[in-house]
Amino acid sequence: MGEILNIFQGLADGFGIAFSLTNLTFALIGAVLGTIVGILPGLGPSATISLLLPLSFKIGSPVTSIIMMAGIFYGAMYGGSTTSILVNIPGEAASVVTCIDGYQMALKGRAGPALGMAAIGSFVAGTIGVLGLTFVAPPLAEFALKFGPPEYFSLTLLGLVMATLLGGDSIIKGLIMVVLGLLLGSVGLDPISGAIRFTWGFHMLQEGIDFVTLAMGMFGIGEIFYNLEKVLKTELVTRKISHLWPSLKDWMDCKWPIVRGSFIGFLIGILPGGGAVISSLVSYAVEKRVAKNPEEFGKGAIQGVAGPESANNAAASASFIPLLTLGIPGNAAIAMIFAALLIQGVTPGPFLITEKPDVFWGVVASMYIGNVMLLILNLPMVGLWVQLLRVPYSILAPIIILFCCVGVFSVRNSVFDIWVMGIFGVIGYIFRKVGLEPGPLILAFVLGPILERSIRQALLMSAGSPSIFLTRPISGALMTALILFIGFQIFMNRRKRGQREKI
Amino acid sequence: MGKLKHPGPGFLPFGLACLLIALALALILSQWKMGNAKAPFWPEGTWRRPLLGVGVFILYAFLIEYAGFLITTFIFLVLWLWVIEKINWFRIMAVSVAVTAVLYLIFGYFLEVPLPAGFLA
Repeated sequence: MGEILNIFQGLADGFGIAFSLTNLTFALIGAVLGTIVGILPGLGPSATISLLLPLSFKIGSPVTSIIMMAGIFYGAMYGGSTTSILVNIPGEAASVVTCIDGYQMALKGRAGPALGMAAIGSFVAGTIGVLGLTFVAPPLAEFALKFGPPEYFSLTLLGLVMATLLGGDSIIKGLIMVVLGLLLGSVGLDPISGAIRFTWGFHMLQEGIDFVTLAMGMFGIGEIFYNLEKVLKTELVTRKISHLWPSLKDWMDCKWPIVRGSFIGFLIGILPGGGAVISSLVSYAVEKRVAKNPEEFGKGAIQGVAGPESANNAAASASFIPLLTLGIPGNAAIAMIFAALLIQGVTPGPFLITEKPDVFWGVVASMYIGNVMLLILNLPMVGLWVQLLRVPYSILAPIIILFCCVGVFSVRNSVFDIWVMGIFGVIGYIFRKVGLEPGPLILAFVLGPILERSIRQALLMSAGSPSIFLTRPISGALMTALILFIGFQIFMNRRKRGQREKI
Repeated sequence: MGKLKHPGPGFLPFGLACLLIALALALILSQWKMGNAKAPFWPEGTWRRPLLGVGVFILYAFLIEYAGFLITTFIFLVLWLWVIEKINWFRIMAVSVAVTAVLYLIFGYFLEVPLPAGFLA
């Protein structure tokens, strides 16, 4: 009982913080920016948050900057569907499946209900996700207080492996990215002995590779070089959007897909390595399976819009849980927010809720408010944002590059960092070309120091016996989960290959 | 590097390097087994725009220390929009001037980033 009361008390305090004028303003800025980058193809939430990381020095208080960055992340989930529906290009990765039925609806003149349902589903699911975050995070953080180095090692490893296996189609390629990310993370001073590693004589590298530089290079610059290969054309199906409010039949059709999407999204979002992208794919598959007339999917079924759009929002909210309670980010965008917290001198982890309650509850409360803002931004005002699609990517691309250059320069006032970012940009471009996803690399880069410190401390504890990871109950359970998961994944891949050979 | 009992600074990097070699071999093997490694890296002329982009970027990073932020940013935009995007001159000039000014206002003026001034200083 006392715990529930504590949660309500915390939430009330959080609303007090979130309703201050500064925090409301930055929540709105985040929501607007999120909507914009969600709508603009070729610019996703990860790249945008990395662009704003240098600014978080200037914003000042940690609560305010995280409120804004969180708004960008879940706001992008709202905006992404608009481009999918109207242009048939996903505005950002978690809206890929929305293209399938959303665009078909638009072709049939039902763009309005598709956009409306996507926004309403996003709002319902986003709010369910935040409710889950409110009530699941505090007990989870208390449980996580029992974790020692072996548990942290097992959990981090589980997160990395799941992110890799769930993310791409090739397990080997994903693992290569993880290992490269970990190696890049080990440049600079060794966290335990202070020895210098891999600096190749550049004294600028002694502090390690800066996260902002790496993230902007891989996501910002690399993405733009890659997009330059093709000419991105955004042609709208329709200029006039009417009947945003769905009909009664649409409501009846979408009621359960939204609820199912919310729960699927929430469960996948909590998982380390899970996230908005995967949850929308799973939701689409589930809706297609349970639908009364599955043959309508692909021809403009509104369930195929409502389900995935709900799922990606619930997942976006839920993925704050592992970050804020365990200090382990589960996907690339959350990894950026993790970096923002570190820049502000806040170490996310099980102590966050008790030691920095203002940060935790302030951000959580702002997410309730942010979802209301986003509903207004994306339902009555959607026509305004659609105009953004008229700004050609050809002009946007050099502006994004300049933003990256100035942003990365401002961190240490050094032109050297612009060069480093450019090199990572070219590497990121080549990676994309050969089918290597930069997401796991970024995640591994962030988790690398946690992983290294925990494995070395654990081995010191056990006097060199790796059995410590299996004999401690929580760590053992996590390792078992890891092994079961890898086994399951290999089994599924075999089966897929078997089916392909039969065809 | 140290031992399992006393893992040193080279412990994790060494393990990772071994893992990377194993993964690289596995990737080569799996590609070789599938036998479809024939796709060209840049299909039909798609190399032009990205390489030009990289070129203009290198010029920017190189020039900014000598010519300063304002001049270099303006040149970058003009070159990018002219060589890569080939839009008309009126738009090139309008966009380049406007964007340079806005970026300077945001970063140089409001956020007080000490942008390189170059020979203008």
